[in-house]
Amino acid sequence: MSAEHRFAWWPRRPGAPTGDYIGQGSQFYGLYARELIKTFRNPWVLVITLVQPFMWLAFFGSSFALVPTAQLDALLNAPPGTGYLQFLLPGVVSTSMLSIGMFGSMSTIQDKRFGFMKRVLLTPTGRSTVYLSKALGSATRGMVQIPVMITAAYVFGVRFEGDPVMWAGWLVGLVLLGFGFSAFFLAVTASSTDWQTPGVLSNFITMPLMFASGALFPSQNYPTWMQAIARVNPVGFSALLGRGILVDGTANWAYLGYLAIFAAVMVGIGTLVASRYLKVE
Amino acid sequence: MFAPTGGEPAGRTEVACVKSIDFDSSGRMAMVDEAIVARGLTKVYGDLTAVDHVDMTVARGGVFGLLGPNGAGKTTIIKLLTGLSDLTAGEASVAGYDVRRQPMHVKQNIGWVAAEVILDDELSGWENLWLQAKLQRLTGWKERAEQLLAYFELSDRKQDRVGTYSTGMRKKMEIALALLHQPQVVFMDEPTIGLDPNVRRMLWKLITGVNKEFGITVLLTSHYIEEADALCDHVAIIDHGRFVASGTPAQLKARIQNDFLDFETSSPVSEAQLRALPGVLEARSQGKGWILKVVSAEETLPRLFAALPENAIQRVSIEKPSLESVFIDITGKRIDQAGGDVQDFRKFYLNVRRARQ
Repeated sequence: MSAEHRFAWWPRRPGAPTGDYIGQGSQFYGLYARELIKTFRNPWVLVITLVQPFMWLAFFGSSFALVPTAQLDALLNAPPGTGYLQFLLPGVVSTSMLSIGMFGSMSTIQDKRFGFMKRVLLTPTGRSTVYLSKALGSATRGMVQIPVMITAAYVFGVRFEGDPVMWAGWLVGLVLLGFGFSAFFLAVTASSTDWQTPGVLSNFITMPLMFASGALFPSQNYPTWMQAIARVNPVGFSALLGRGILVDGTANWAYLGYLAIFAAVMVGIGTLVASRYLKVE
Repeated sequence: MFAPTGGEPAGRTEVACVKSIDFDSSGRMAMVDEAIVARGLTKVYGDLTAVDHVDMTVARGGVFGLLGPNGAGKTTIIKLLTGLSDLTAGEASVAGYDVRRQPMHVKQNIGWVAAEVILDDELSGWENLWLQAKLQRLTGWKERAEQLLAYFELSDRKQDRVGTYSTGMRKKMEIALALLHQPQVVFMDEPTIGLDPNVRRMLWKLITGVNKEFGITVLLTSHYIEEADALCDHVAIIDHGRFVASGTPAQLKARIQNDFLDFETSSPVSEAQLRALPGVLEARSQGKGWILKVVSAEETLPRLFAALPENAIQRVSIEKPSLESVFIDITGKRIDQAGGDVQDFRKFYLNVRRARQ
């Protein structure tokens, strides 16, 4: 550049370029922050995110309101006096993590269709970084509704067991569940640019994973084949971990381990898939 | 400076092959005086060869234009050179780095301006710059960003959401993003397509400024003849994935000694009938009309009207020697021109060219 060029005095930028997997902290931070900014800046996303779980508790949680207490306790296989709302809360919180992956996928497809993905990938940003920032962004967005649900349940008269360590462990489990499902959705839709794909996929997997999990009803009453699914269903791991803490005041940390394995496997596979197949447009 | 091969007809272009691209042990291209070098650049999608063995060299500091109709392969070449798409065959370097082996290095040294404005509308102008800084791993970028905002007259709107910007402001912001990390090469893919004349005029000035004032090499694609003529030091005309001609706009226009008559008729006309007219060198049908290569349009036009039935000619246009006539001469068809405002720019592009000289 010659001296007459405007801003020719700008110092050249030091530092080696980043790789596809390492040295991507800056890019990850930028993209993750963008996800959060967009979430919290859109009032409708916030309202729906907050109202939806509240409605779950209000409508679904009232389904057994007129069932005699003893009969309900027997049905739920829960300690005497456990209301359905208390039983249900950990399950609803867990199932809500199923849908956040769909929103993450839709957001990614929007970025592809509007060209923003191209803008990002024309910078030294790896596809895996884009993928991971989306997955964690979705999981974080899913966590927004947790305090709302707990507060709503408290307002409905539910009282919880467990100590702060157990609660912290439960929340970590929820983050892992959300991260895992977001990673799964994003991996499956990595090469898609069709708006309908995430919705179709969500409809396909939500129903079996929600009902064959023990999240909404005790799995002891399920037929054998549904119990088999429930035993390997990560939604069930999260629901049972939370139910043990909130209802019984006991934590079965094995479930947290299963959730960690689930998230690690999903993120690992998804990162490989995305780094190869994440479409630009 | 620029040397196409692989295009046809070979006899019509100034062919000078790029012999090879030499990379040193670190992978950096040895010939660093060139901003872009490509050899045998090829991209195949299934049965379609989108880019067909293109060789090109772009010197640093120039404005290089890829001119051709929609679907000619212009955007695909940009995708290949920026690492967005994998090469089927060939090799290329941008800013001294191998596109295939060092895509991250390439991306650190290029900027990009899209045909359509691509910004995050929900973020403010400053937040878009912040995100670009993060994606390019910049430090100490804020002063530079302020200078760019001032240069593009966006300082007072930097905290507003980009979604509230006018089209011209959005284009300016996009160029500011492309410059924030001090790229060596900026790719502009149809930068003025679909814009109204005022915004287009403004962009032409800005593109010239990016090149002259910031000293950045610009590679732009366009199917606007006047745009390529006004802005580019060198132009490569591309058709069906091949370079069919290249050179400075003046060199290209000097190749053409004849005029062209482009017309449509309401009733069928035979080729023999047209060829029989004095002064007609060639006659080619295109769609519903004809293109005649003639010695002089002014002399042939009255003969044409006299030879055909009254009111048979529905539309006629004269093409004097221009980049358009170069394209017609080589391919036998017009470059597809979107929008009807091209004529408005004739005077303006002459002014811009004068300013650049």
